[in-house]
Amino acid sequence: MEFLFAQLAGFGLQFVDLVSDPITYVYLITSVFLGILFGALPGLTATLAVTVLTGFFSNKIPLDYSLIALLGAYVGAIYGGSYPSILLNIPGTAASAATAMDGYPLAQKGRGAEALGLTTTASFIGTLIGTFALLIFVWLLLLVSQSIASPEKALLALFGILLSGTLMSEDLVVKGWIAGMIGLAMAMVGLDPLLSEPRYTFGWSYLLSGFQVVPVLMGAFAVPQIIESLRHSGTAQIAQLNGRILPNLRQIRAHMPTIARSGVIGTGVGALPGVGEDVAGWVSYGVGKSVSDEPEKYGKGSLEGLLSSETANNACIGGALIPLLVLGIPGSPPAAALMGAFRINNIIPGPTIDPEIILRVSAIMVLASFTMFIMGLFTARIFIRILKLPQTVFLPVVMVLTTIGSFSVGGGINDLYLMLGVGAVAYAMNLLKYPIAPLVIGVILGSLFDETFRRSLFLADGNPSVFFSRPGAAVLLVLNVALIMSQVGFVKRGAKRIWSNVT
Amino acid sequence: MRQPDDLTTLRARDFWGALVLIMGSLFFLWRTTDIPLWGNSNAGISGISWYESAAIVPLGVFGAMLGLAICMLVISIRDGGAQFALSAIGLGWNAAEAWRIGTIAVILLFYIGSLVPRVDFILSSGLLITALIYGYHTGNPRRMAVAVLVVALAGIYALVAHFPRAEWNAPQDDDWVTLLMWVLLTTIVVVQKKGSAVMRAIPFIAVLVPLVLVTAMAFGFRQNIPNRGGLLFSQIEYHYYVTLRPMWRK
Repeated sequence: MEFLFAQLAGFGLQFVDLVSDPITYVYLITSVFLGILFGALPGLTATLAVTVLTGFFSNKIPLDYSLIALLGAYVGAIYGGSYPSILLNIPGTAASAATAMDGYPLAQKGRGAEALGLTTTASFIGTLIGTFALLIFVWLLLLVSQSIASPEKALLALFGILLSGTLMSEDLVVKGWIAGMIGLAMAMVGLDPLLSEPRYTFGWSYLLSGFQVVPVLMGAFAVPQIIESLRHSGTAQIAQLNGRILPNLRQIRAHMPTIARSGVIGTGVGALPGVGEDVAGWVSYGVGKSVSDEPEKYGKGSLEGLLSSETANNACIGGALIPLLVLGIPGSPPAAALMGAFRINNIIPGPTIDPEIILRVSAIMVLASFTMFIMGLFTARIFIRILKLPQTVFLPVVMVLTTIGSFSVGGGINDLYLMLGVGAVAYAMNLLKYPIAPLVIGVILGSLFDETFRRSLFLADGNPSVFFSRPGAAVLLVLNVALIMSQVGFVKRGAKRIWSNVT
Repeated sequence: MRQPDDLTTLRARDFWGALVLIMGSLFFLWRTTDIPLWGNSNAGISGISWYESAAIVPLGVFGAMLGLAICMLVISIRDGGAQFALSAIGLGWNAAEAWRIGTIAVILLFYIGSLVPRVDFILSSGLLITALIYGYHTGNPRRMAVAVLVVALAGIYALVAHFPRAEWNAPQDDDWVTLLMWVLLTTIVVVQKKGSAVMRAIPFIAVLVPLVLVTAMAFGFRQNIPNRGGLLFSQIEYHYYVTLRPMWRK
């Protein structure tokens, strides 16, 4: 209990510090607005919002303001995706795909405003639940992570890449793993972290420092999106919005168990390395349907279904920040972009992170969620008007934004060539239904894996038993092996047979 | 011969994708042999063991990628992908889509590879925005051809006239050519607008977005921007320091 009070006191100090600085509001309002805008415009994603703003704010303004800008955009974009889901039946971001299942039928019944008001409130509460979990569990995990050494770090990085590949794959799981391996391979370029041996530089001095994170992020997320979405797309038919957006308190109270359950699920899914808000939304939607008294209403305009996905995807943000801050392993693709911003500011997330930063991040999250809530309730009709903007108008602008953002972070034309090259590869991968998130997670975690894997062997004089003689490492090794084996055909069939015999 | 469904089309593409991955993995495995594995000196340190070598993790990564690519190849063959891999229908070839993607790729290639390094950023980005909105808003292939043609002409001139890095910031004839192309395309847009709100907005978006971005980056965030010696930016920078700044410093 004493620990909890100490945490809350530290959080309170950071909160007051932020609230008393007028500049905070400028960054907060701008970034949440931009975030909602990116989320609301189909074709732009939350990851893209954080990536583009990383290019602009990560190394140009003080860290505090940079964090406000990026977290504000993250919170705003995940929420903003609900607008086109409800009003157009087109998810603004992958995170709000499940929202469209019930949001659009509600809008068709003339309950669009009610649905928007409820999702705004649910997103707000979801973000707060995730932030509370971040505030509490991050410290417990930090205590545990003090005993994590190189073998555990290497296996955890590998687990993050494999898990992301497994869960983010739209087609075959092997494609997700290949994407992760491509990311790992990209991280091998440059001077190796232990002996400074040049690898795959082909005599080009630019590659000695390896691939820069921001151009890779821009290339992986922005360029394929621009190529794919730059096409004629008719005029959007927006559902009519009648009634008031301000939510009914009695209705909120009645759905509180759904909101609380979805918040917990979203946070838990977010805490899994490399798994994003879209998975959180669908898992929560699925659980909601299975425990509901009225499962037949799901997909036909169920408020429960709507709240299940919308609460979970926002709660996922806090969850995704837990592995990022404690272990340096991003919990979702937008968190991977945040990791890039941390690196640019010379902050190494992990067990040695400055505790002040965690408290600061929590305070910013709370402020961002309040800003999102107020904006959502009172300026929703502005964002609805923006939905009419065709993709062919804003995507060329995004291309210019990514170009100048990418150039200014690294300061060179070579970064732009890298961005374009990664963009071409990512587009080809999209075409073949390979997920992009594991590639980015692989690039980010590659050097950590390389360094800790070799250091483990070095300290054990080349004895591979170091990866199973330590309890933590043994557990992680089992998890990695189980994850791989769970996708092997005959193992799957055998497990099913054993399970059916047991039951 | 049966008609391929969506899954078979995807597997036919996967067949080629797996082959590319296998070739890539083999190439990089071969390149990894350049990195000393054991017994040799590594980056000036002699007598290192295999587990300290910088090659050990890349060997594992490319080895794993090779194994996974072979799995992918087997899956694609088993699901009938190889059977359709050599036919356009099997690969889901769509000429209109190929034209759209191809023209966007050429525009982006000339923009990043030729215009941004050599031409004023406001001019090159203005031309890009105009070309992309005009070319792709209606989905008309002829408009795409016009868009790619103007960007390619400006890009080819900049490449040919000022290929070496030493000339990137020097003379501004490529800036004038890009400006000419931009004006030409904007004229076409204005003539063809036919009451469309988007077409009417193109010139404003194309001028305002790069202008605001570049001035914010250069004078607000104090960041490096491409081609500071460009036709427009050099004037903006000059007047910022010589005309404007002394005014508010007083």
